[in-house]
Amino acid sequence: MFIETRRRRSRIVLQVLLTIAVLPYLFPLVAMVQGSLSGEGWTNYAKVLAVPGFILFFRNSAIIAFVTIVLVLGVTMLAAFGFSKLHLRGREIYFWALLACLTLPEVVLLTPLFVTASTLGLYNTYWAVIIPLAALQVPFAVLLARNFVNGIPDELFEASRVDGANVYQAFWHVILPLTRPILASIVIITLIAAWNDYLFPLVFLQDTSTQTVTLIPQFFVGQFTNDQTKVLASAVITAIPEVAAYLCLQRLFERGLAAGALK
Amino acid sequence: MRPSGLPWILPALALVIGVLYYSIGYTGYISTLTWNGTDIEKLNVGLSNYVTALNDPVFWKALANTAVYFIATFVVQTALGVFFALILHSRVRLGTLYKIILFVPVVLAPAVMAPVFRQVFAADGQLNWVLDHIGLSALAQPWLAQSETALPVIMVITVWEWTGLTFILYYAAMGQIEPEMVEAARLDGAGNVRVVWDIVWPSLRGTTTALLMLSAISALKTFDIPYLVTGGGPNYATEFLGTLIYRQSIPQSNVGYGAALSILLLILALGLAIVLQVAGRERKR
Repeated sequence: MFIETRRRRSRIVLQVLLTIAVLPYLFPLVAMVQGSLSGEGWTNYAKVLAVPGFILFFRNSAIIAFVTIVLVLGVTMLAAFGFSKLHLRGREIYFWALLACLTLPEVVLLTPLFVTASTLGLYNTYWAVIIPLAALQVPFAVLLARNFVNGIPDELFEASRVDGANVYQAFWHVILPLTRPILASIVIITLIAAWNDYLFPLVFLQDTSTQTVTLIPQFFVGQFTNDQTKVLASAVITAIPEVAAYLCLQRLFERGLAAGALK
Repeated sequence: MRPSGLPWILPALALVIGVLYYSIGYTGYISTLTWNGTDIEKLNVGLSNYVTALNDPVFWKALANTAVYFIATFVVQTALGVFFALILHSRVRLGTLYKIILFVPVVLAPAVMAPVFRQVFAADGQLNWVLDHIGLSALAQPWLAQSETALPVIMVITVWEWTGLTFILYYAAMGQIEPEMVEAARLDGAGNVRVVWDIVWPSLRGTTTALLMLSAISALKTFDIPYLVTGGGPNYATEFLGTLIYRQSIPQSNVGYGAALSILLLILALGLAIVLQVAGRERKR
């Protein structure tokens, strides 16, 4: 629309230019697959898949991501409703207290959480990763959800109250069903943040039976000393579910992550 | 009178205050100690960890790296994002395919891609192989082992990872521009360059400002890629505050010093966010 290409030739030039420009983006992915197939070829994959406990990394990541999502969604939707539709003295103070945490780097939390998790016996459990992950996601999720709920007319909520619904029913039957688009975005943002997180599992999960997919490369460097091809094969296997999930839910991923960027 | 919202926001507040604010407070306390994180014995040293930090050349090196990294990646990513969005808004075939290629890196975990990049940029890696085969063998070099090339490699990886997101945001913003405006300009005789410069670019300002904020904060948060690809080296060439704090706090058990660095990082991040927010508001007026 913004670049006019009247002639066929200029259209071809544009296409070629675009193709050349995306090649560097494809290159690491091609290098990853090519590297994983050098040496012993497909046997690399067989050997990686044969390592006992390989599937556990995926199970652990799935559990951590799932619980984090449930936790974030639960507290976020309640808070968004409270902020947007109910009486709240000092509303903006609470809100800014949440927003200030948007800039918080994970690394700042390491030592206190390490000490606290050890004292409470949570070290090496899923909770040591889930709770800080959820806490870091909540401020932004509340910001998104509050903006969205603000867009739902107050009259809708008040009408249901006049009809005799109590505040819980109004929340559950009137407001919540209307928030589905923003729920989807929050799920995607939290899923990516939890699944891709590296620092918390690195520090809080020492036992391979609780570790997540982001620790797989490190595990295989130890498992197959100096055999880079196996490490790359494990990277390909780890990447496949993420790419597949994105390809199935392209729109949702793009919209969710775009919403996530525009703080 | 509406019912009180306080009970409704309480779970969120409890989680955020109980974990984040508690940790910040605790970090502040630890930053006044000399402590290895596990001993019962802690030595209160007041603000001396902060003095050490401000006199630590590695701290300043990490800050300088962050600044260079932020400016370079932001400029390159913005340019590439706008470039791809412009082309994919014009009449090209297979647009979805290109979009997927650009966006897949955004979804992949940096920690999973790190071994790939270590391999690609190794002295006997695929990048040098390609350079050899297109007649540029003079350019082949051990990218990760030299101070001058290691930081640019980290920046290249970051750009690779995030261009897809920048592109999607600009692509969406361009979709909001009214076609009538572009047509009117064309009737006035404006060419492609004029249309892009006078109509498209100004209407992307909101997106650019948001991306500036996002890039600045995530530059300060940088950890995974430098830690896993170069380990902060060689000779601190790719040290960031994240890698420095991690190394001090966990492997070296200088938790007091790590905490002081954390507080400095937090002040920087919060200060930067406030400055950018205020500057953004002023410009809107």
